[in-house]
Amino acid sequence: MTTDTAPGGFRKTSSGRRLTGIIMNDYLQLHQRAADGAFVVWIAIVVPAELFAGFDNVVYAVPESHAAMSAGKGVGTLQCEKAERAGYSTDLCSYARIDLGTALDGGRDSPTFGMPRPHLLVSNTNNCSLLAKWFDVYHRMWGVPHFILDIPFCYEEQTGADFAYIKAQFADLIRTIEELSGQRFDEARAREAVRLSGEALLYWKRFTSLAAHRPSPITAFDSFVHMAPILTSRGTAQLVEHYRELVAETEELMAQGVYPVPGERYRLLWDSIAPWHQLRKMSARLAALGANITCASYTYCIGSLEGSFDAYAYDGGDPLDWLARLQNFSVCPHGMKLRVRAMKEAIERNAIDGVVFASNRSCKVYSLMQMDQMRSIRDTLGVPAVMIDVDHADERKYNEEASFVRIEALLETIDALRGSGA
Amino acid sequence: MNDIPQTLAQMKNRGRRLIGCFPLYPPLELLHSFGLTPVVLWGMNGSVQNYDSSDRHLQNYTCRVARGLTGFIIDQAAGLFDALFMYNACDTLRNLPEIIATEVELPMLRLHVPALPEERTGAKGYLQDRIRSLVKDLEQFTRRPFSADAFMASTALYRKQRALCRSLDTLCAAGGIPFARAAEVLQSAHVLGVEDHIAVLEHELAHPPSPARTPGARVMASGIQAPPATLMEVMDDSGITVAANDIATLARSYADCPPAQPDPSGYYCDFYFRHYPCSTMLPAGDRRIEVLMQRVRDSDIRGFIFFGEKFCEYEYLEFPHLQDRMKDRGVATLFLEIGAEDLANLMPMKTRIEAFAEMLGH
Ligand code: SF4
Ligand code: SF4
Repeated sequence: MTTDTAPGGFRKTSSGRRLTGIIMNDYLQLHQRAADGAFVVWIAIVVPAELFAGFDNVVYAVPESHAAMSAGKGVGTLQCEKAERAGYSTDLCSYARIDLGTALDGGRDSPTFGMPRPHLLVSNTNNCSLLAKWFDVYHRMWGVPHFILDIPFCYEEQTGADFAYIKAQFADLIRTIEELSGQRFDEARAREAVRLSGEALLYWKRFTSLAAHRPSPITAFDSFVHMAPILTSRGTAQLVEHYRELVAETEELMAQGVYPVPGERYRLLWDSIAPWHQLRKMSARLAALGANITCASYTYCIGSLEGSFDAYAYDGGDPLDWLARLQNFSVCPHGMKLRVRAMKEAIERNAIDGVVFASNRSCKVYSLMQMDQMRSIRDTLGVPAVMIDVDHADERKYNEEASFVRIEALLETIDALRGSGA
Repeated sequence: MNDIPQTLAQMKNRGRRLIGCFPLYPPLELLHSFGLTPVVLWGMNGSVQNYDSSDRHLQNYTCRVARGLTGFIIDQAAGLFDALFMYNACDTLRNLPEIIATEVELPMLRLHVPALPEERTGAKGYLQDRIRSLVKDLEQFTRRPFSADAFMASTALYRKQRALCRSLDTLCAAGGIPFARAAEVLQSAHVLGVEDHIAVLEHELAHPPSPARTPGARVMASGIQAPPATLMEVMDDSGITVAANDIATLARSYADCPPAQPDPSGYYCDFYFRHYPCSTMLPAGDRRIEVLMQRVRDSDIRGFIFFGEKFCEYEYLEFPHLQDRMKDRGVATLFLEIGAEDLANLMPMKTRIEAFAEMLGH
């Protein structure tokens, strides 16, 4: 194994190189299979893609993931501007604008040459409801059917009635694809895909849990980057292998004493979507301050039930049961009480010194309870927190200096608390 | 309705049990049948002094509807309301119940309305089940049993009220009442008891405030809320006739009314799945465009003014397509975006409305 360590955790590891290969290959395969006649589905990020493995020739693409990659590769603003010129408001979620800009311009300037034209759109009210309106734009533009998955928001843990409602919708989705594609669904294959996803998520949890070590062998930025194949390679052996090796490699680096922020003095938690356009810059600047954002609600939620922290393991039973029960896992489709519960667990397990709440005007579902969540964390745990303004994919709405003034103030508060023995 | 808190306080003093509801299409008939007076907490911006209370909880990129209603509940709910009710509509609203609960201790009843078309497997059954569960919650909260007779009586009242609202729209379209006045009377539905609102509507229809005017350029107004009164007055003064409205606080709220039936779970399936299409009702996207274009044809509309609610993504994602469809039909469009901070200076919007009216006049 070889590593070149750069401050802030952007290490050229073999896992990093493997990741690049996986993503490139996923998009190449997607284009190739679509060109060869596969049935193409565009999905919202939390639509259970494992179901597509139950068909002979169905491929899927994830516009949100493509938008994140576009932002990470520096073309987010360019694509946003295309959508804005077509009349879409600058106040609209930047993922939606990037995706609309890319689609309206035929995939030009996209790092993946866009995505192949879909035969079916599957949105999900789970993370956010605006996705259904966003997919409606393509539905009207291309005359493609649009299937909505409606996932009730959880203020408490998912109820039995909601679970049954969700499961029935998954069964409906399978029937819809059978009708539209002319292909038969094979449950055994979907079950195997679910088994593989379940196994991959256990490794993912092991990887993110390494943040509990002091100093942390990972940064949240590592988890932002490595979450990508969960979106493009769900239900594959390749996904299991990638995370298995990622864990092994990270543990080996720990054994060698190689850490992304060797002089780690501040251990922070990030609450929001990844700031895709700032990964390298932000992590390097934090590292220079001795600060490590070791974990993030955006990535520690993956694979857990709503409001909890540990993995929800697949027990080999009905694959639709596991998929339906896990539908509210990501932070957005569950309420503040549950979010605070999971965050407290993350703070305690990872010995967090301070929390950075990134208020993201593009994502109201994530952001609009942060002010109260921040108060709750401060008041009940005595952990200092700060709020900065970040748009996850539109760089024009981010001010680096203003953000770092606040982050530095947070670090000073942590120092002051340490000095006072609090 | 100039003084909403005062109106609500008067109702409270008369012994009414008020339940504050959001968003716009709560199951009013059911709540009413339990002896409650539902108040729809929409367009509360005029009733909050400033946004200080909501700004303690919500970032300034939240729409003014949510900021207004959060501020109103925090500042005024204590002593006025017996409970709150909410159903799911948008990404902003779903975060509000827990935020409100940090400051206001009131029972909160909730309903999840499926964002699915009626024909999808399980959609109807799920909604029926949710309504039955809401009935149980209401029985517990009011300590009285559900009564099919009371429910039928309540649905009859709301049916009558909605029909009267449509009559007032027709009068407005014929130039018989200024849009500003019609909108004020119609929107008062949200904060008056249904019986009181019926009386107001009957009076207004019998005694329209001004002599009939010569109808001017026929325009459709659209948006989540009716625009501020000064903008409606400019529309009236510029010779615009609002021949149809697609405003959520107005026509979208009363355009349709399902057939009466004693079983609320069946009634609300009709109500929600076949509701007049609104941008906040996700499966209604296709139907909404068709209905709007049909109304444009039926009402011989020449101009379309879209009062965009700043930060409302539902509306943002529809407007470019709507605009194209209007243009295809030769209908001129004007897009005005209104946020909380715009209310202090509406002059640029007034000027744009006047210019639009002039352009239509030529
Ligand atoms: S609003 Fe938030 S949850 Fe929805 S697509 Fe945008 S970033 Fe994702
Ligand atoms: S105006 Fe739009 S964003 Fe605001 S509460 Fe209504 S639907 Fe939600």
